[in-house]
Amino acid sequence: MKKILPIDAEKPTGASLISTAPKCLRKNVQSFFLTPSEEKIVAQYYECHLRDFCKAFQPPMPKAVSGTASHYFKRFYMHNSVMDFHPKGILVTCVYLSCKVEEFNVSIGQFVANVKGDKEKATDIILNNELTVMHGVHYHLTVHTPFRPVEGLLIDIKTRCPSLQNPDRLRPIIDEFLEAVFFTDAVLLFAPSQIALAAILYAVSRVQENLDAYVTSQLLASAARPQLQALVEAVRKIRLLVKTVEQPQRDVVKQLERKLDKCRNQENNPESQAYKRRMREMLEDDDDVPSYKVARVDSDS
Amino acid sequence: MKSSGTCPQCDVPLRRNGFRVQLFEDAGVEKDIDIRRRILREFNKQEEEFATLREYNDYLEDVETIIYNLVNGIDVLATNKKIEAYKRDNRESIVRNRARGRTEEDELDEILQMENELNEERAREEQERLQAEKRNKVQKKEALIDELMTSYGDAKKIVASHTKVAEPEAPVAPKPRPKPTQFSSGVRIGSTRLPAVPIVPQDEGEPFVYAAPELAMDGPAAPDSERLSADGYLSHIKRVGDAERAGGYAASLGCLRALQEGMAGLLFFPGADG
Repeated sequence: MKKILPIDAEKPTGASLISTAPKCLRKNVQSFFLTPSEEKIVAQYYECHLRDFCKAFQPPMPKAVSGTASHYFKRFYMHNSVMDFHPKGILVTCVYLSCKVEEFNVSIGQFVANVKGDKEKATDIILNNELTVMHGVHYHLTVHTPFRPVEGLLIDIKTRCPSLQNPDRLRPIIDEFLEAVFFTDAVLLFAPSQIALAAILYAVSRVQENLDAYVTSQLLASAARPQLQALVEAVRKIRLLVKTVEQPQRDVVKQLERKLDKCRNQENNPESQAYKRRMREMLEDDDDVPSYKVARVDSDS
Repeated sequence: MKSSGTCPQCDVPLRRNGFRVQLFEDAGVEKDIDIRRRILREFNKQEEEFATLREYNDYLEDVETIIYNLVNGIDVLATNKKIEAYKRDNRESIVRNRARGRTEEDELDEILQMENELNEERAREEQERLQAEKRNKVQKKEALIDELMTSYGDAKKIVASHTKVAEPEAPVAPKPRPKPTQFSSGVRIGSTRLPAVPIVPQDEGEPFVYAAPELAMDGPAAPDSERLSADGYLSHIKRVGDAERAGGYAASLGCLRALQEGMAGLLFFPGADG
């Protein structure tokens, strides 16, 4: 059993602690904290959780809300570490925030009814983390998901390419593709319309049809050749990402979670003493009333 | 009654016709405006007579200092001497400015007079209308009573016919009385004014030219909103319910939005063209 190093309360993050620890402990320290690839696995695992949470949500949640929540989660963990903010709390906060932003009206009570476990604790976690998540996303709250571009492209196909019979039969395949896309990093790398085009082309190839003529001659008639090639390359990359996505293994994640529990930043863990102390200090700072005793003046001396 | 006496407090000799009606509640204010009027009749230089704005402001400050001194009784002798010295030095300019000031005042007075007349006219019309209404009412009542007295018809029917007649009578607008522009002898009312100074055309800068905002699509252009229904796009979008249309939503809005989102960014490649 490894000895737990005494953590300096000056906001330890992985790199700073590694550099200040004595050399003999440095190797241990590196295996004490999560490596970036391990962090990614943990984040991915919790993102699957997020999608399942959204799917099982009552009242039924529109896809855009789920997509936005996923997006916030991804962006948040681009700038922050899972050791600083545990994914479980950020998950529910992202979903709550995206419900507000996408105008899918749920009160906090209705929301935590969907959360398993202590409802009150969940409420506290969500409301305390909301600002953190917004800050972590750099306050870019409007997210362009690929769903509306898909609709737009379908309208265009229906109007300008009548040779494709009944494009609506492509919808279930498109949905499946977009679901898979959210498990990859594609939304952070490509424009939503590019992902939408990739989804449509994938669906079209699945039903053994071909839309290349439409794409090159009608949709992108005004584009230059190199741009067209770059787009084809982008679509290919997206489809490759989706094909090679793999879900993290449960036992691997369990092991990582145990590691995370030991090395997480206790100041942000609502169950720890450090957090409770910080909350109490924050509240006490608000009291401006100085408590001093006034000397009593004897009136009849 | 003697026409002159002395003030009981300060022993200054006062004459009967030296009194005037107090216009303001505060006597201090009265004193101030009296002194101010007297001084500004002498110190009436205009801004154009000074080389810089700074000199004009200095001059104004001097005037205010003099007024303040006289009102509060500070250095009265020195201040009076200053006034005498100024009067002697600027005799011609005072006279010239006085003549110019008079015409400006006259214009203002004329405007005031016209406003007053307008107000009076309105009040008179209002009065006449009220009078006419009253007379009308009284007449109608009397007519009703006369008919009840003299005719043999049903009393209820007579009352009903009278109240019906009273309603459709539209109010007669009083004819606007033409304002007298001339005296009977032919002299025009209102002062003869010199033609106004021609307006100097000011430099207002470049005229605004409208340029339509350009949409940076990074992709193919979406069809024009006017062409949406003609080209058949609107037939593929969800039907718009009455409630949505009442709120201002139209099918073309949703259609155009979806199309633009589908087209925008298709040719966006970060880092490709720097």
